Amino acid sequence: MTAETPVNTPNQLATEALDLRYGDRLVVGGLDLTLPGGAVTAIVGPNACGKSTLLRGLSRLLAPSAGTVTLDGSDIHRMPAKALALRMGLLPQQPVTPEAITVEALVRLGRYPHQRLLSPWSAADQQAVDEALERTGTASLRDQAVDRLSGGQRQRAWIALALAQDTELLLLDEPTTFLDLRHQLDVLDLVAELHAEAGRTVVMVLHDLGQAARYADHMVVLKDGRLAAAGAPADVLDAELVKSVFDVDCRVVPDPETGTPLVVPRSSAARRSAATA
Amino acid sequence: MSGVRTRVAVFAALGLLALFALLTVSLTTGEMRIPAGTALRALVGLGDGGDVLVVQQFRAPRAVAAIAGGAGLGVAGCVLQRLFRNPLASPDVMGVTGGASLGAVALIAAGASQTLIPLGALAGGLLSALLLGVFAWGSGLSVTRLVLTGLAVQAGLAAAVNLMIVRFPAELAGSALQWTTGSVYGRTWTEVWGAGGALLVALAAALVLHRRLAVLDLGDDSAGALGLNTATARLQLLVLAVVLASLAASLAGPVTFVALAVPHVVRFLTGPPTAVSLALAGLTGAVLLLASDLVVQHLLPIEGLPVGAVTATLGAPWLLVLMFRQSSPVQRTHA
Repeated sequence: MTAETPVNTPNQLATEALDLRYGDRLVVGGLDLTLPGGAVTAIVGPNACGKSTLLRGLSRLLAPSAGTVTLDGSDIHRMPAKALALRMGLLPQQPVTPEAITVEALVRLGRYPHQRLLSPWSAADQQAVDEALERTGTASLRDQAVDRLSGGQRQRAWIALALAQDTELLLLDEPTTFLDLRHQLDVLDLVAELHAEAGRTVVMVLHDLGQAARYADHMVVLKDGRLAAAGAPADVLDAELVKSVFDVDCRVVPDPETGTPLVVPRSSAARRSAATA
Repeated sequence: MSGVRTRVAVFAALGLLALFALLTVSLTTGEMRIPAGTALRALVGLGDGGDVLVVQQFRAPRAVAAIAGGAGLGVAGCVLQRLFRNPLASPDVMGVTGGASLGAVALIAAGASQTLIPLGALAGGLLSALLLGVFAWGSGLSVTRLVLTGLAVQAGLAAAVNLMIVRFPAELAGSALQWTTGSVYGRTWTEVWGAGGALLVALAAALVLHRRLAVLDLGDDSAGALGLNTATARLQLLVLAVVLASLAASLAGPVTFVALAVPHVVRFLTGPPTAVSLALAGLTGAVLLLASDLVVQHLLPIEGLPVGAVTATLGAPWLLVLMFRQSSPVQRTHA
């Protein structure tokens, strides 16, 4: 486990002795974590290791059975729901698209935390929606039905909703799943751009270790609901960690494009001989 | 977008026109034919005393009861179908109509006066919803649990109503059957002002809460991340729909089909649901119930048929159409 040096930057999420349960089943246990503000953090780990559950805990959708989640020091489960929604947006893994809703109508819902019960739609609301559509390249699709779009376009429409929410902190649960390589890169480039240009703090669950290493400043590795490692990808990601967390023999080499760590699994022959040795 | 706006505007204009035309027909026709001009003057108390009595005291409250009840049912159906994400959701499935029937029949059995019976229907509807809430609360109001519990509650209430009617003497049984099929016959202004006024308030509340309904459409995770307390919002909207349906039942009895069909008609004609289409659902419900009541009064050869018989007759084939459309490949999608 890599030692962490907590730096107090704004938009810093932290957990302390966090337990998350579904019913009686402990999914995430005893997690002490600091997710640096102003950075892109990738949460990785094998299937069913509690990545998505952690994201739900971080975003107040799942109340901890023990421990706390804090945002800049204050307990998010003690904050009013709308106050938190003004600071943190979330794209769930499989968002539910209302039937026949248009892209613009969907993105407009992102303004909900900014509106009061009787407040009319304001110019600021419309501006935030227009900007979100521009930034995600969905402005030309605004009148189209979301459920008729391609997977990549649909994902961008949903990201536009989270952007219209206008939060400093953005949580994304496997934003690249079900997308082909081109659209995966589009989404990740968009995330990198949001971070670089708008200074947003991003926390995303990813499957691909190479992509996580490329796009994240900070990496959190989970195994069986516990923290396996955390830190800069270059410090964290090595063959030993991949073996112990994913049970895969591999070599970790510098990505020829970016120099970030790239996981290359050993050939099946090499893995078989290693298993018998 | 402009295409949708035009369609909505045309739909609203045609709906209002139809409502006005039907209202005129309902004021002018009946045992005694009154010309349209005379009838409208009589409505505001001018002209022949007999005309004024017929129009003001008999025809107008009946028409207004149909309009208000229909509007309440249309909006209640819209809210419920979106809340449950189920195109078959309606007050019937929620036990509200069963509760209203039971409430009315219980008061008939107790020998209560005619004017108290609508209150019995209202109380019955609300009570059945409370029952539903108690049974379904356990899992934080999950949709499946609510639907299944609703069906069970409805079945139990319907059984209780049937049991009472079977044991009634003949003349009470007739009156009870009239009530439990749904009818706007013999409504008085007292009932119409009371329930209609309350309905107006509930309809306004539905429009105000529409934003929450739209956010709930995104699913619990997205809605929660947008700062909506999903359990509270769902409960608010559920109570509102139940109140709307119960008030409608107190005016028109447990009329079926209107709440089920109206959301589909509105969606088919104006596209995805918005606050405006919620208002249009009210208008459509009003037109539908008023039209059905005119069919009952003037087009059918059988005397004294309750309006619910017409809507139920329309409802059966409609359900079949819905089922065929449901099993076709055009389905709601999850991104």
